[in-house]
Amino acid sequence: MQLMVETRNLRKTYSRPDGSTIEAVKGVDLEIRQGEIFSLLGPNGAGKTTTISMISGLVTPTEGDATIGGFSITTQSMQAKRLMGFVPQEIALYPELSARQNLAFFGRMYGLGGKALSRRVYELLEFVDLADRQKDRIDTFSGGMKRRVNLAAGLLNSPPLIYMDEPTVGIDPQSRRRILDTVKLLRDEQGMTVLYTTHLMEEAEELSDRVGIMDHGEIIAMGTQAELTQQVGEEDRLEFTIGAQEIAEDLVERVQHQTAGVTRILSNPPEQISDDSSESTPARLIIFAKRGRTALPQIIQTLDAADVDIQSVAVREPDLEAVFLALTGRALRD
Amino acid sequence: MAPAERHPETIAPPTHSRTPLLMRKILAFASKEIYTTFRDRNLILLMFATPLVLSTIIGLAFGGIGGSELPDFAHIRVAVVNLDEGVDPQETVSLPDQFANLDALLFDPDDLASLFNQAGIGPDQLSQDGAPLNFGDQLAAILLSQAVEGTAATATQGFDLTEIGCNLLDEPEAAGAASLAAGGSLDELLDATAVDDAEQARAAVDKGEFAAAVIIPPGFSRRIMPQFAFDEDLSFRTQFPDEDGAVEVYANNGRPISLRILHSVVAGIVNQFVRVGVALGATLETSVNSLAASIGSGEINLAAVDLSASAAALQNMDATVLEPLGCLITPSANNITVTHPPLEAIQEAPRFARTIVPIGASQAVFFALFTGIFGIQSLYEERKYWTLQRLIVSPTPKIFLLAGKLLGNLVTVFLQILILLAALTLVASVVIGEPTFIWGANIAALLAVILALALCVSGLGVFVVGLAKTPEQVNLFGPMINITLAVVGGAFGFALPDQAARFSLIYWGVDAFTQLANAQTDITVNLLVLFAQGIVLFLLGAWLFKRRIDL
Repeated sequence: MQLMVETRNLRKTYSRPDGSTIEAVKGVDLEIRQGEIFSLLGPNGAGKTTTISMISGLVTPTEGDATIGGFSITTQSMQAKRLMGFVPQEIALYPELSARQNLAFFGRMYGLGGKALSRRVYELLEFVDLADRQKDRIDTFSGGMKRRVNLAAGLLNSPPLIYMDEPTVGIDPQSRRRILDTVKLLRDEQGMTVLYTTHLMEEAEELSDRVGIMDHGEIIAMGTQAELTQQVGEEDRLEFTIGAQEIAEDLVERVQHQTAGVTRILSNPPEQISDDSSESTPARLIIFAKRGRTALPQIIQTLDAADVDIQSVAVREPDLEAVFLALTGRALRD
Repeated sequence: MAPAERHPETIAPPTHSRTPLLMRKILAFASKEIYTTFRDRNLILLMFATPLVLSTIIGLAFGGIGGSELPDFAHIRVAVVNLDEGVDPQETVSLPDQFANLDALLFDPDDLASLFNQAGIGPDQLSQDGAPLNFGDQLAAILLSQAVEGTAATATQGFDLTEIGCNLLDEPEAAGAASLAAGGSLDELLDATAVDDAEQARAAVDKGEFAAAVIIPPGFSRRIMPQFAFDEDLSFRTQFPDEDGAVEVYANNGRPISLRILHSVVAGIVNQFVRVGVALGATLETSVNSLAASIGSGEINLAAVDLSASAAALQNMDATVLEPLGCLITPSANNITVTHPPLEAIQEAPRFARTIVPIGASQAVFFALFTGIFGIQSLYEERKYWTLQRLIVSPTPKIFLLAGKLLGNLVTVFLQILILLAALTLVASVVIGEPTFIWGANIAALLAVILALALCVSGLGVFVVGLAKTPEQVNLFGPMINITLAVVGGAFGFALPDQAARFSLIYWGVDAFTQLANAQTDITVNLLVLFAQGIVLFLLGAWLFKRRIDL
């Protein structure tokens, strides 16, 4: 299958006012195949948006290059840009214009005009189920409706590749569901390649053919979900919420040695919510274990014997969250 | 291995013809800018309502409602077209031919010519060196403030209109003539230029290059100079040829005061010529008939006559002598007609109209400065809301995005000034009570000034926004710069010395508008300064500004 996007050593360094520099993206290598949904998964600040901005030509790379359909984004940017659509995280629309006027304007910037433009605008308004609101100003729309118009604006030129930068941020579950379904539809019915960034593991799992996990400006893992979860083995993840108490080191060692199948334990102590608050977040104990459900009774018994106040227990099978946790020692939402 | 080398085959992007497409994108961006600007009610208030209300209030405060006080007029630009063919006195006073059937008379006709020559009004005097007598030359010379020489000028001496008892002219005309006499020279009042062709002169007036054209027709001198003839009873009489010798004053509707002044001046001069002709004819008629009668009856022996006393009397005749003759002038003998475009009522420009022009123009430009700066600054808004990023990701070079933004701003400022001038015209018309176009008749020049101002204002906007590092700096320094330019340029009702004011584009714009309103078209320097300033600021600002869209 032909590559739609390829990056080599893509790097972006920003200068700070004090003269120092910060490397937002540290030499990213990517290969995205035609017709697949590729997700960049990572916490906020991981470098996902900067990476997608460089690939889309919005930000000039400090080093390296990206090709879109074989065209370099740095030296053949106009050809490359004609192959892509862009759905930014923000609602990149003019609030004082109607939905139709917004789409018509951006359509003209993609070289559309006349009847072809009118037809395309109407198709997209139908596609996002907003044809009946086409003459209303954007600033009268709900957040979900704005997101749908935002998505439609990225599809105006019927691009073979579309970038979506966290397109479900800040919307209600119903609108989010509609957008996720639309993304799958674009791939399945139109053969579109989708580069999707998110910090939500569930979205990446539901949508992606392949996932690239980013942290601190680097791709730390890349592959299908099966390939990635294999990296953390067959371990289940047992998550204990244990109230506002510290877990002693010797207790952790005891659990690990006394319970068969336990491979690793992460302990997150309780944290005070704020300086002027007496409340704190509960402590968490995350235990990786093969055949987790089998090991669970023994673990509970050990903790109970140590007077640990267990508030809840969850057993999770291997997933992308586990991969991220395994690779970084932190949860995605941290 | 480089990425491009790994993909010798590429996915064909949609193709378009590049240049027209990019131009369409610039126009699309500019159209969006104009549309969103004119949809914003707050902006509309700032752009139009505020300057309009301010100008009207200041105009009413300093100009009043109605009123007709004359302004200080000077250097009214006038085209003078002299088509006068003159008249040959030999033909007019062709005594031998006219006396050809008078063989019965016992005198030699040549003696009569000699008699007129001795009186200083014979063919030899009236036709110097055989050249035709041309009153048009004299009229043109007076209007052009050139040295006046020749018979006609000599003849006009002592024929002061105001000394004639009959009320020959309307009051305003008399006033005009009187003011002319008081002024002594027209060079302060008129800025007259000789033009060869009548149509060319009328066209120049239509364009606003001149406030009026004085067109002296081919038959002007023939109309003034009387013809001599004898009736069947051999009585001698004078008659004025029935041909069109009326001087035409072709005027600009937008300059009613200038037209009225010019009309008075020309009427005063021409009527003096007319009176000369009438006086001459009447004198000759009386004298010749009397002489002929005396000769015919034998009372006078031509050989023994001493004409020196009569000649002296004729040469020294004055207004007292001519007083009864002045009343011979009928309305049809008034050689002035005024033609002008359809506006029927010639009126004096009210004070409000004269006040609102500089005030309204300065307010229009002052508020346009805000549009210029904050219109360009809106690119920061586009970046904040990510519409700029969406545009940059589209296959449109950044320079074209910038061009679209600048074009939109330029057109917006142009329309703002244009609409404000139109609205001020409406306000002036309402206050005055009848349709009055207050910006002069030279629409092309008016549009050129607005365009130059729009370029200059937009250029300043680009420069200021390009210079500032943040939107906050633009918010701080933009108004400061605008107000400084307004103070220096005289937009706040007080004027600084010209040397200082010239640093403000408001000065150049307001000066150009005021000149056009006064039918003066010498605005080349204003246009050059505004266009040059605009282009320099535009280029400098664009260079500075380009980094603002490097994300």
